[in-house]
Amino acid sequence: MAPVLSAVGLTKRYGDVTAVSGLSFELEAGSVTGFLGPNGAGKTTTLRMLLGLAEPTDGSALLFGRRFAELERPATRVGAVLDSADLHPGRTGRDHLRVLARVARVPRSRVDEMLALVDLAGAADRRVKGYSLGMRQRLGLAAALLAGPELLVLDEPANGLDPEGMRWLRDFLRAFAAEGRTVFVSSHLLAEVAQTVERVVIVDHGRLVADAPLRELVADSSSLEDVFLELTAEPSR
Amino acid sequence: MSGQLRSELLKLRTTRTTALLLLAAVAITLLGIGVEGLSATLAELAKEERQRLLLGAGSSGAGLFATFAGLVAVTSEFRYGTIRPTLLFEPRRRVVLAAKLIAAVPLGGVFALVCMALSLGAGLAIVSARGVGLALSDGDLLALAFGAVASTVLGAMLGVAVGALIRNQVGAVLAVVAYSFLVDAVLFAAVPSVGRFLPGKAGDALAGRHVAHLLTPGQGAAVLGAWTIAFVAAAVVRTDRSDI
Repeated sequence: MAPVLSAVGLTKRYGDVTAVSGLSFELEAGSVTGFLGPNGAGKTTTLRMLLGLAEPTDGSALLFGRRFAELERPATRVGAVLDSADLHPGRTGRDHLRVLARVARVPRSRVDEMLALVDLAGAADRRVKGYSLGMRQRLGLAAALLAGPELLVLDEPANGLDPEGMRWLRDFLRAFAAEGRTVFVSSHLLAEVAQTVERVVIVDHGRLVADAPLRELVADSSSLEDVFLELTAEPSR
Repeated sequence: MSGQLRSELLKLRTTRTTALLLLAAVAITLLGIGVEGLSATLAELAKEERQRLLLGAGSSGAGLFATFAGLVAVTSEFRYGTIRPTLLFEPRRRVVLAAKLIAAVPLGGVFALVCMALSLGAGLAIVSARGVGLALSDGDLLALAFGAVASTVLGAMLGVAVGALIRNQVGAVLAVVAYSFLVDAVLFAAVPSVGRFLPGKAGDALAGRHVAHLLTPGQGAAVLGAWTIAFVAAAVVRTDRSDI
């Protein structure tokens, strides 16, 4: 069986700037993997290439053994939130989900289920412009989960969540993976990641610097933060 | 494809943008009716050319604002980032573009029918109330209505294509405004033999206006159709190639 996600020599250049360079890693089903790196390390660019939004300059990005654009009913395989602001402010939360439900061909009742799941049932008929950042995060997540994907890809999902929202997200991701499904989550909140993920993929300057189970990486009782800062330190420092 | 089309139609109905643009089209239509019908002298109003402008007044507002509606259907996705969820649910970009182009047909149709109902109704009432005879046949009226629908639908599709090309909402709106009120008008006034082949003037011809130097409605349809195909082809190339 093909891995849930695989990047092979993934490279993205913008003119003279190399954002992602020869990145290779795989995800196995049923895991929660953290995707870490300093700002500008190429995390979001990598996710955009994996999800077909940006064309790799070189290498390949495969989900379930195929390019994202070649997946049948992709929303049933992969759910993703790249930016919690990706909502029309003048549309209600419910309508945002209904618009996507029509593409994914899921029943209307599924929209109500997702709204209840992310605790937005009461605000569903209000326009998104009145939502807090946390509500937008949860609406984005509801959209990603709409068609029951096997893989969930989240870019910085903890931004704007209060402590209660963080705990809810952590518990949700663990339960999601416990069902044999897979989570790939980028973050720079290392303490949060250390509590949630089983494995980490760390990139710096567009290159892979670590790909290991969290337990192995911090085995000598150092913290994830220590390991991260060491791996991503500038050579001159 | 049908799921994407139903999604695009729902998008148009679930923000206030479409309704506000339709309202603006109605306002422009009412202004046109006032200018062409109420301020004209009886002698002017008796002329066929004037009656065409009055009864067909709905086509200008409908055409311009349906173009904006088609434009915003694409640019708002880039402005608010909804293009990302859209493409995560349907990564085949040509399918999304095609659905938006097809959705532009009923979109333009509604704009044209609302505005034309207004200008035909009010125009006939004004002509009759002011006691000048109707200089247009039933066939002429039908041609005006059909021409308005056809030119408005093509306008909405052009809007979708321009939006896919320019992507930046403010830039795209400014480009259409500058084009409509400067390039189109100035070039037609200065060099009508060239200006009449521009999309705006081809649309006027298709909508059934009889202004000097304009193409015939049939020629207008062919020319505006060719412009639409050209812009859609460019939009497909840009959509295929560009990162989001």
